Amino acid sequence: MTGWSRRSFLGAAALVAVQAAVPGGAEVLKQLDPKDAPSPRRRKLMRLVADHVIPATDTPGAGAVGAGDFVLVALAHGLEGTRRPPAADPSFVSFLRADGSLDHAAWLEGKLGPKWLALPAPRRHEQLTALDASAFKGDPAAAPWRAIKGLILTGYYTSEIGGSKELKYELVPGRFDPKVPVTPETRAYSSDWTAVDFG
Amino acid sequence: MDETLNFDAIVVGSGITGGWAAKELTEAGLKVLLLERGRKIEHQVDYETELKAPWDMPFRGEGDAELYARDYAVQSLNRHFTEFTQGHFVNDAENPYQTGPDTAFNWFRSYQLGGRSLTWGRQCYRWSDYDFGANKRDGHGTDWPIRYADLAPWYDKVEDFIGVAGAAEGLPQLPDGRFQPPFALNVVEQAARERIMETWPERRLTIGRTANLTAEKDGRGLCQSRSICARGCSYGAYFSTQSSTLPAAQATGNLTLITDAAVEHVDYDPVTRRVRGVHWIDSKTKTRHQATARLVFLNAGAFNSVHLLLNSSSEAMPNGLANSSGVLGTHIMDHANTLSAAAIMPGFEAWTSFGNRPTGVVIPRYRNMETMDGTGHTRGFSFQGGALQSTWTAGKREAGIGADYKAALRKPGSWRMVLVAFADCVPRAANRLTLDRTRVDANGIPQLRIDFAFGAEENAALAQAKADAAEMLAKAGGHVFMGFDRPGAGGTAIHEMGGARMGNDPATSVLNKWSQAHDIANLFVTDGAQMSSSACQNPSLTYMALTARASAHAVSLLKSSAL
Repeated sequence: MTGWSRRSFLGAAALVAVQAAVPGGAEVLKQLDPKDAPSPRRRKLMRLVADHVIPATDTPGAGAVGAGDFVLVALAHGLEGTRRPPAADPSFVSFLRADGSLDHAAWLEGKLGPKWLALPAPRRHEQLTALDASAFKGDPAAAPWRAIKGLILTGYYTSEIGGSKELKYELVPGRFDPKVPVTPETRAYSSDWTAVDFG
Repeated sequence: MDETLNFDAIVVGSGITGGWAAKELTEAGLKVLLLERGRKIEHQVDYETELKAPWDMPFRGEGDAELYARDYAVQSLNRHFTEFTQGHFVNDAENPYQTGPDTAFNWFRSYQLGGRSLTWGRQCYRWSDYDFGANKRDGHGTDWPIRYADLAPWYDKVEDFIGVAGAAEGLPQLPDGRFQPPFALNVVEQAARERIMETWPERRLTIGRTANLTAEKDGRGLCQSRSICARGCSYGAYFSTQSSTLPAAQATGNLTLITDAAVEHVDYDPVTRRVRGVHWIDSKTKTRHQATARLVFLNAGAFNSVHLLLNSSSEAMPNGLANSSGVLGTHIMDHANTLSAAAIMPGFEAWTSFGNRPTGVVIPRYRNMETMDGTGHTRGFSFQGGALQSTWTAGKREAGIGADYKAALRKPGSWRMVLVAFADCVPRAANRLTLDRTRVDANGIPQLRIDFAFGAEENAALAQAKADAAEMLAKAGGHVFMGFDRPGAGGTAIHEMGGARMGNDPATSVLNKWSQAHDIANLFVTDGAQMSSSACQNPSLTYMALTARASAHAVSLLKSSAL
């Protein structure tokens, strides 16, 4: 038995990264049951919503990295508790699935209304800001937004761009340094698993 | 049925203690058969997700909640369970167990070569005579037949071999070990240590003592501060069967390893009053096999070793193997475990840290030592936890969208500190394991039934722990925003133990001071089942020391022809 050195490890990691089939774009939708396949309109809407939450700045935004499609897959599989029965609210009734869970994507599409996609960007942003504010003030009729927004963040910060360009990613830190000064350039590490899990 | 295989010793289970038994017995020259019910996982070769990033995973490391609800309802509650590590935990749907009507018990299991040594929390703490003397002192349970002095040299041996990073503190309630250099406290923890000690000199916040290497050892590499241990570590930097005990046992040339072998029965000879060997089912082919040996070591994990003894009843031993006392299965324990306090820690915004330290901090027990100062309880509790910074996931709890929101999530978040209590669990006869003969598993073996509840002692300890934790974090400069005083479900600490307790009296205990069955001289149980009390420290190091000690004793008996 021989111990691994950091150098041989990083070589192996690079090899795996080249070989891995990384789900990107519509690839992720293959994980959906065909009956859950989203309409082109819904995909477009979720991509745009994702981009309003995390827009392109000096790094790409959430829409460009496929966070919209990720959210649709994640909702179908119940991440963020989204397949559990929702709180009773009359405005949810027409968006309930047969198992009693809320179809969050359909709900959002309904909540934003038929014209949202056609609005100018600042108006779209205003409406989403208002929805976000109501949800975090505790309005039960806006509550499902919190899970959707949570999944947009997951979709973005666990993508390669969100995780390693917007934030930093270091699979093999090689050491623990307990005291590092914060500077204007300091960025969080998406590979700080404790912070991700418990922060 | 194939021809019967013959060995000097059979070890059932390849986890933390099974690996140790296999190493010690093979190094003493015995021909050993090591049986593991789960699949083979080869070191460095089979750690399939070790190199992956979240974006390589179908569900980005969070995992498929739909799958988890269906097949991993219990295991997915484990803090080390992720999409990266799910292959190192059992499928709950395929491995059912029963609980009594008033029982909430989460049984965390890993059926594979290496068992839970691949997924454990790696915390290594010696027990003291406050612990070995606890039952005698307050009258709960039965007195331990050993004291710290009996185990100290075996702790030395185990620590020397596995490698434990830690800081010596000179505390009688948490004896120092033979440590590798410690990991450092971060800036918040260092300040908390100093501020807490100013007021309470006996409350010593120190770095966790962890089986991660800070110095190279026996071909194993240094810990790289990744903190993804439960995926498997190709550096061999944390102690696992694969990194440590298995290669040592294999190097002797005396080990035969069979995986996918679920032992269903230990064979007893009423004439010689010895066990003859074991029977197992090949999980892949469903064929039955057997082997004989002069010694049998049970290391299947506390509850599974008891399960096997209960299921090995015979005409001569109708209540289960080695159960003339009738206490087999009783007095099971798990630490009462809860988040006592969480606080925001202002004043450290100028600092962050680099790397993922593979351990938190510990505040060892300080109550009910020389003075009985516990309110409503007679034993100890200790805290584990640490200071951490929040990150993008905190954005899920905050209002905001857009460029400013994104910019704020780019920075390390605010510091916070948590203290999680582990309280001693009083041994009680009503907390017990039995066989549910009306329900069988896929191999036709009766399922295990768990009856378990915490009581007034644990609730009182956790109430005091909550108050103490809040007081300490406030003294450290924190603003406490959360805290609980009721334990999580049984099993939450993943320190389930007892059921085949050690004791001096064969009428009231299953094992003697050598982890050897009172009733059957060539049968040893050296995993968590042997524990007579729970202490409030993580127990694995003690299981390892007891296993090494029992192995030496068994070998001496064999060599002196006493068996």
